Amino acid sequence: MLAYHLRIAAKSLRRTPVLSALLVVGIALGIAVSTAFVAAYHTVAKDPIPSKSDKLFYVTLDSWNPERPWDDDHPKDPPNQLTYRDAVSLMASTIPTRHTAMFKTELTVFPTTREERPFRARTRVTFRDFFGLFDAPFQYGGEWGKDADAAPQAVVVLDHETNQKLFGGRNSVGKQVRIEDRNFTVTGVLAPWYPKPKYYDPHNDSFETPEEIYVPFRWTLPMKFVTSGNTSGWKSYGPDFEDKLESESVWVQFWAELDNARQRETYESWLAGYVGEQKKLGRFARPLNNRLWDVKAWLDWVQIVPRSTKTMLVISLLFLVVSSVNLIGILLGKFLARSPEVGVRRALGASRRHVFLQHLLECELVGLLGGAVGVLAALPLLHGIERLTRSPDDPQLLQLELPILAAGIVLALIAGLVAGIYPAWRICRIPPAAHLKAQ
Amino acid sequence: MELGPVFRALIHNRARFLLITLEVALTLAIVVNCINMVLDLRGKVLRPSGYDEANLLVVTLEPFAPAYNDTEYLHSARQRDLERLRAFPGVRAATAVSAVPLSGGGSASGRKVEGAKGDSVPAPYFEVSDQAIDTFGVKLVAGRNFEPGEHRDWFDADGEEHDRPAIVSQKFADKLFPNGDALGKRITNSKGLSSDIIVGIVETMFNSWPQADSISGHAMLLPGRPEDKRFILYMVRAEPGARAAVQKGIEDTLLKIDSGRIVRVRTLEEVKARTYGSELGLIKILSGVVILLVAVTAFGIVGLTSFSVNQRRRQIGTRRALGATRQDILRYFLLENWLVTGSGLALGLGLAWALNYTLVRMTTVVGASAAVPKLDWGLLAGGMVLLWVSGLLAALAPALRATRVAPVVATRTV
Repeated sequence: MLAYHLRIAAKSLRRTPVLSALLVVGIALGIAVSTAFVAAYHTVAKDPIPSKSDKLFYVTLDSWNPERPWDDDHPKDPPNQLTYRDAVSLMASTIPTRHTAMFKTELTVFPTTREERPFRARTRVTFRDFFGLFDAPFQYGGEWGKDADAAPQAVVVLDHETNQKLFGGRNSVGKQVRIEDRNFTVTGVLAPWYPKPKYYDPHNDSFETPEEIYVPFRWTLPMKFVTSGNTSGWKSYGPDFEDKLESESVWVQFWAELDNARQRETYESWLAGYVGEQKKLGRFARPLNNRLWDVKAWLDWVQIVPRSTKTMLVISLLFLVVSSVNLIGILLGKFLARSPEVGVRRALGASRRHVFLQHLLECELVGLLGGAVGVLAALPLLHGIERLTRSPDDPQLLQLELPILAAGIVLALIAGLVAGIYPAWRICRIPPAAHLKAQ
Repeated sequence: MELGPVFRALIHNRARFLLITLEVALTLAIVVNCINMVLDLRGKVLRPSGYDEANLLVVTLEPFAPAYNDTEYLHSARQRDLERLRAFPGVRAATAVSAVPLSGGGSASGRKVEGAKGDSVPAPYFEVSDQAIDTFGVKLVAGRNFEPGEHRDWFDADGEEHDRPAIVSQKFADKLFPNGDALGKRITNSKGLSSDIIVGIVETMFNSWPQADSISGHAMLLPGRPEDKRFILYMVRAEPGARAAVQKGIEDTLLKIDSGRIVRVRTLEEVKARTYGSELGLIKILSGVVILLVAVTAFGIVGLTSFSVNQRRRQIGTRRALGATRQDILRYFLLENWLVTGSGLALGLGLAWALNYTLVRMTTVVGASAAVPKLDWGLLAGGMVLLWVSGLLAALAPALRATRVAPVVATRTV
């Protein structure tokens, strides 16, 4: 019976090809627009590391100015980064499964060949736990040893692109790279890796690719690394580099991996103990306000989803509603124009149920076709959104993932169903006699 | 004659007409809100920043030669670069800066009136070498320019600066001194330790963050010798028409002077377009949505009117046979269309307001203005006219077809 209904539905669509094409194009437009913006929203709002987003915690302490909160509009919020001295002190804890203090900088890398010009590489200054914390995948080698976290050692991890640039993509573990004024030994090369958003440090550019090179945190003092992220301060300090490291300015990020509630509680009380000691030394004059932000809370706090993305999501869904309403109107017209034929079929014994189902099936067919065309059209549309909102040298950010693609089709089927119910109901209630009389 | 029969026919086919009414209403709501955002964004991107945007170039130098670690070498290298840049044909002026205006990255400190109670207000600043005012193209409206001797280091051993001259934007001056007596006054950081004296006021001068509404147009120029050795920044103002040639030429010139650095030359317009990337993109996307949406709705109206005409061919024929003119028939269908779009637009007014309210609520963050502005009546009226006309045009073709129905149709049975 279903096959028969389908055949009739297809026949009916073929009989008015222009109108059917309009129907399909109309719903496809709605699906394309909404799927593209749902995909864009999903890219920026999804959980970047679902396997452990509830175990990774961004650590903040309120070491800010006693006279004024960090953020006047949100007086309860602590500063969004740590001072260098606190970050280094927190590394002494043995409670977290993994933890790291870190910041971003830019260092000059000198290619081995003379023809290549030196270039500035985006650099993450961090501890070895970084790679395990955020599941950074290695193509060759691995993170540096524990001893490189204790005292400065000239070791470096390269990302995939930089290894392409410097070593043509070959296994470069053990090879030397000249960075600034000294040679570093490569201990590992990352496989291509692009978490979206860049949740571990979303400031300045939340959707850029991870850093190009990774060097041990202990080089900060000897090589006088300067953060290329944000620095906020409330208390002036002396002119030397050491003064900055000892200052109250915040510019270092800190993440800890805590696997269960007990570990978390132990760590929280350890942090409270640390701040208590610091209070005795005359620091941390503000009320105790240590926070552990899991990935979701952290991304909410930094308002990771651009406001324009939310706005466009709402507008694109309304667009789908308009194209569905449009679909209902045209279907209704199309079906009612067919009243005489339906009258005859009814008179010849077709039940209301059959007429209803057959017409609903026709709507679903339109929905399915529109959905297929729509999600296909969503791809270039998404590409267009990317082109229009990001600059050409930014990495490809937006992508249409399979679940979103499937959601697009389902959305089209729902639109077809919702749009079809009323017209199908109207047409199945055509009295058989009325149109026979006219004939 | 008209209204009664038209109205009764609408009631008879209420479902279809209600649908179109709803579609028109939703379309109005979305279109008006999209246009509202487009106008707001355009206004923001196009407002004058005070700089001679069309002729300015931004030079970024990233030195890697070790010599640059020596501050004295850094200063002499910069002096040499600036001299060569200023001598380059087509260059009007050049200056070294600590941050690039409109770039999205820069520095800010806090300043308040000397001795005033309470907190300081954010004070975005640029530390500049000589020729800054002429290079930027900002207009000095009060006070004086910096004097040559003032471009020196100002930080004392205590890490503070004392009575450093400052040229501020009019807006920033008015923020601190609402009575308009800013010139010659001393401003300090919140603790009162660092201080500047306002020696000049420029008309309009944006800071590095053009999107930050709360500090929009607040900027301060400080004389000095920018010390960052990671990034050496110059601004170069070309004579009108010479920008392209200068942009091409100075990269080579700077590399020839010293190849121990990475050189990049961009136009200020490129820098600004990058800062405004998402706004510019959003303008195009929203405009696209408006066009698509009006098209979809217009198709809906074409479809509806066509059916309406087809269904009533015999009725039209009868009317024609009984003496109705073609104009009467045309008037009938256009009136029907006007009634439907009209009620849709009325309903749309409410929906437009509701959608605007939702979007404003959704995008409002404490401490920042909403990303979506409130609707104004002029815009609503404009949107209604746009949809009214589109609806009319969409109905015109099928309605004209209706006028061509021959009276003889009335005599046929099927």
